[in-house]
Amino acid sequence: MNALTGKITQISTDGKLSIAHVLVNDVVMSAIIIDTPETLDYLKLGQEVQVIFKETEVILGIGNQEGISLRNKLPGVINKIQKGVLLSKVVIDTSAGLVTSIITSNAVGQLALDVGSKVTAMIKTNEIMLSQ
Amino acid sequence: MIKLKFQKLLSAPKGEMNLDLDIVIKEGSVTNLFGSSGAGKTSILRMIAGLMMPDTGRIIVKGKTWFDAEKHINLPPQERRVGLVFQDFALFPNMTVRQNLDYALVRNQTIKVIDELIEIIALGDLQNRKPDTLSGGQRQRVALARALVQQPDILLLDEPLSALDQKMRTELQSHIMNMHRRYGLSIILVSHDVSEILKMADEMIVLKEGNVTDKGRPADIFTNRKVSGKFQFTGEVISMEREGFLYIISILIANDLVKVIADEDEVKNLVIGDKVMVASKAFNPIIKKL
Repeated sequence: MNALTGKITQISTDGKLSIAHVLVNDVVMSAIIIDTPETLDYLKLGQEVQVIFKETEVILGIGNQEGISLRNKLPGVINKIQKGVLLSKVVIDTSAGLVTSIITSNAVGQLALDVGSKVTAMIKTNEIMLSQ
Repeated sequence: MIKLKFQKLLSAPKGEMNLDLDIVIKEGSVTNLFGSSGAGKTSILRMIAGLMMPDTGRIIVKGKTWFDAEKHINLPPQERRVGLVFQDFALFPNMTVRQNLDYALVRNQTIKVIDELIEIIALGDLQNRKPDTLSGGQRQRVALARALVQQPDILLLDEPLSALDQKMRTELQSHIMNMHRRYGLSIILVSHDVSEILKMADEMIVLKEGNVTDKGRPADIFTNRKVSGKFQFTGEVISMEREGFLYIISILIANDLVKVIADEDEVKNLVIGDKVMVASKAFNPIIKKL
């Protein structure tokens, strides 16, 4: 489980859904949740929250990521890789903090990922949970 | 309405402790008292039952005053309409199940009450046996029936199921809930078992060193407030299998076994039997009509 701490900087609500923007160090992350400021007491501007997402939901990319729909893009440098037969665990040092990604070992090979490689860790907005 | 507003100075493991309670319980609801040992849970039950006297305050049940320190009202236990079941409930060993129930009858009650209880709690086959020939779960069923003979307004349960195995527990829980629905009983349940509380209680009161620190719906207290994910359950860890740096955790949620992949860092403090929250976003699961 990845858990980063930040502050809510923007809330957009439509019906029962809200998208919250959370500033984690200098990176803005977004999460869509089935809650509104009325149903969730800690959904308010300036509130400190944790941004939670699973390692297996973290996508890694190299090169230019501009044409990708993912809202949460955390550029960083790989500081550790643990390779298994099928899956590998990659720890990326981003400006939002350390982020762990679990991707196939096949992908690690194809992208030629190694310690020191520059990558962007990406997470879909609907994979992010908030916690107080 | 059941109004419990009282204080009592108790001697606790860490010295004296002031128990201070001010709650209103809805009639016909199941309320869980939650807290570590020494928080004052059993003392609260004892004061409701009239086995211990509060220093100040009032106990009012269905408009009738059971205790009022200022007005010097203190009904004796037999005049308070309460039923009590403890973890280890002493039945009379020399009497049969039926005689144990008969003994609880009060004047102007007929044995019809007992016939009915025997039927609902399925004690028919056991009614002529002595307690020492019964299993723990069967004895607790008899204890439950005996607590209900006098048709109490409140049933007080002090960890009544904690000594039983899971199967017995589930069975007794449904017996208790049947009685609850049939008689519209108000129940105050002391329990630490998360799945038991989620299954049975409408309201939860969290106590710490004699004070109420939280109250609300059990599901809110145990889960929703912690993470925003809406696909959320509580369950028990059944097994943990290591696969490289990952673990496959099998979790029993109600009667279903689910599997969750977890990173080794996530399972560091986890052992088999732990109660856990399982959460995912509502965006992930798929549904399919059966």
